[in-house]
Amino acid sequence: MTTTSRTKRSKASVPSNDPNSALLKTRQGRLTVVILAVLPVFLFLVSLALGRYQISLNDVGRILVSTLKPELAADIPETARRLVLRIRVPRILAALLVGGGLGVTGAAFQGIFKNPLVDSNILGVTSGAGFGAALALLLLRPMWQVQLSAFIFGMLAVALAFFGSRMYRSSPILVLTLMGILVGSLFNSLTSLLKYVADPLDTLPAITFWLLGSLTSITWDDIPILAAITVLGTVFLWAIRWRLNVLSLGDDEAKSLGMNPGRLKIGIIAASALVTAMAVSVAGVIGWVGLVIPHAGRIIVGPDHKKLIPASVSLGACFMLLIDDVSRSLLPGEVPIGVLTGILGVPILIVLLRKNRTGW
Amino acid sequence: MGLEARGIHFAYTPDKPVLQDVSFDLEPGELLFILGRNGSGKTTLLSCLNGIFSPTSGEVLLDGRAIGSYNAVERARKIGLIPQLHTPTFTYSVREMVLMGRSPHLNLLGTPGKEDQAVVDEALETVGLVDLQHRPYTQLSGGEQQLVLIARGLAQKCDILLMDEPSAHLDISNQYQVLEMIDQLSKQGLSFIISSHSPNNALAYAKRVLLLQKGRVMAYGELEETLTEPLLSAAYGLKTEVIYKKENGTTTPRAILPRRPLAVSPETLKDPDSDLSCILERSCETPQLVLVTGLSGAGKTTWCKGMVEQARAKGLKVCGLISPAVFKDGWKVGIDLMDLAAGESRRLANLRGEILTGVGTPKWDMDPEVMAWGNAILAEKPDCDVLVMDELGPLEFFRKEGFVNGLTLLDQKKFRAAFVVVRSSLLPFAQQRWPYAHIVTA
Repeated sequence: MTTTSRTKRSKASVPSNDPNSALLKTRQGRLTVVILAVLPVFLFLVSLALGRYQISLNDVGRILVSTLKPELAADIPETARRLVLRIRVPRILAALLVGGGLGVTGAAFQGIFKNPLVDSNILGVTSGAGFGAALALLLLRPMWQVQLSAFIFGMLAVALAFFGSRMYRSSPILVLTLMGILVGSLFNSLTSLLKYVADPLDTLPAITFWLLGSLTSITWDDIPILAAITVLGTVFLWAIRWRLNVLSLGDDEAKSLGMNPGRLKIGIIAASALVTAMAVSVAGVIGWVGLVIPHAGRIIVGPDHKKLIPASVSLGACFMLLIDDVSRSLLPGEVPIGVLTGILGVPILIVLLRKNRTGW
Repeated sequence: MGLEARGIHFAYTPDKPVLQDVSFDLEPGELLFILGRNGSGKTTLLSCLNGIFSPTSGEVLLDGRAIGSYNAVERARKIGLIPQLHTPTFTYSVREMVLMGRSPHLNLLGTPGKEDQAVVDEALETVGLVDLQHRPYTQLSGGEQQLVLIARGLAQKCDILLMDEPSAHLDISNQYQVLEMIDQLSKQGLSFIISSHSPNNALAYAKRVLLLQKGRVMAYGELEETLTEPLLSAAYGLKTEVIYKKENGTTTPRAILPRRPLAVSPETLKDPDSDLSCILERSCETPQLVLVTGLSGAGKTTWCKGMVEQARAKGLKVCGLISPAVFKDGWKVGIDLMDLAAGESRRLANLRGEILTGVGTPKWDMDPEVMAWGNAILAEKPDCDVLVMDELGPLEFFRKEGFVNGLTLLDQKKFRAAFVVVRSSLLPFAQQRWPYAHIVTA
């Protein structure tokens, strides 16, 4: 959290007539940007070296370059090459994409719901996806079908919450929040029902393990679509960063500032739901990222979505990667990610809330 | 050019109209105040002007074009909204808040550029918040927050700013600061429509006033035509007085205040300087109605009795009804009804059951025959100088029972002077019914 204290000091030293965002104009501000940009890359490289099979950072670098110049890694055992390129790289990429996606959608949802205690699961995506995965696992479907089912039910949950809220004329944000909670509870109950009827020796452990979240089963096959949806969704949210600011003031003010909050929100909800559903369908149920990351982002760069969106992507990706690193190095077996995000997320959120200089 | 509303109607549900036939126009640089009670439709009217609602019928013309034909961005370049103070969820800086005013000038995916920053600089300079621009908006005082929102409206570069309750939650010094800023901006050609709960601010700053009552325009025009005692009294359902001050040879209205009941004893009426003394001198030109009010046990009936004695001592003829309580061992056990003209008294009500020492609300068994007798006395125009009625209660006001003939006498002004006892809770209804009445508390 050194970045936090640095930014705090930088805010005090901002010249009062600074016409642009303070971030790029001061030394500390520029440092924050560089750290946020470089940290994921640095962690990516370090994580490749981590694991029960020891590979030095130097070798990792050579293995990566060897994909272009094979002669460089001639002396490195084939096992290490395969382990890095076939297993660690896709897994780490997935961690970055899932974390970045959950972080950025959390920020977007908090913005449009005008509520800093909302996360990516506010419209029931995760609960719906959990049910979808549990259903496919119960029916003993192959992994790709489990992911597809999770994705479809995740989107179905959002659609139910969204169109359900349309039945009411007034106070749409409140009704939408309520509908999201209701749909989430419904799918959680249905998932419990599936667990109840599942075979306790075979499918029940599979369902339970999936619901706890894991990146173990990631292969290169998962990466293209995960990357495509996450990047597209993030680019969309980045593109409308200014509108997110105005929307976070509330519908009436957004309207009086020339916006169409209804249509914008549909776009934001659709994009965020796609990214979240995608992340959950490959990684399982992962909580806390979408709640904690935007908070950390606001403390470091402020509430302006122009800076908050990229900061949330970077912080989310780093957080997820660190969690995954801990998950695969802490114990001989793996600690489920969903468990770790909770165990680490709670104390982090408590610290952030204490440092938070917001009004609430 | 400017804004013109023609016969706006609006209803959230078809059977409950919120606005009915509201028309006005706004000239450039004008400061129009919208006044009215809570729920009279002020905020709804602003929302109709701002495109948040569209009127169910009638039209709003902006620069001669129907406002519905503007898209959101075009409209936002003409009309801005300065909302009521509220705390945003996220702590944007002052500068970021003002920068949001540039939204209607940006394209769909745009963010503010150098020119927008320059506009923001100018707006911050105008309202004098340059030094606070990097402070979190939420840490500012209410007055400063209001100025930030005004700066945002300026950055929006529109012609008309709508303001919802700019003086709410502000102390008078902050109100003054904000309203003076608005006044100066209007002198530079910016128009304001201000919905306000403060007729005094309208008196000080408005060019014209739109007085709303239950969604209808009660009065619209210059201050002298709109901020008058009868109109304000009717619009707020409250006896209101306008206080004038003589300064440099001219007399100007300076304050609008609710007129509180006068705490006078019947003896005060003897004072020749008293407004009410004419009642006891037979010299009033128009019928005079005095509402005698006070809480239960405050002495309303005693007040009337004192008045009756005085009037009789002056040789005036008194008629009507009073209902003195009948006491036994210090407890009120019954109510008599006395016809003042004939001097005849009959028992109107008896306490039901045992006397319970101060426990619960006493229940009264009313005698319908005596009630009808009393009502019959009030049936015709009384042949007397002073009419006394003790008392008119919920039975008469809401159920049209009891001494309902008394209400008719008062409505038709069939009296020269009348003293009517009304309990405090019913005073607003009585005032609304007879806005010309004097009020005294027992």
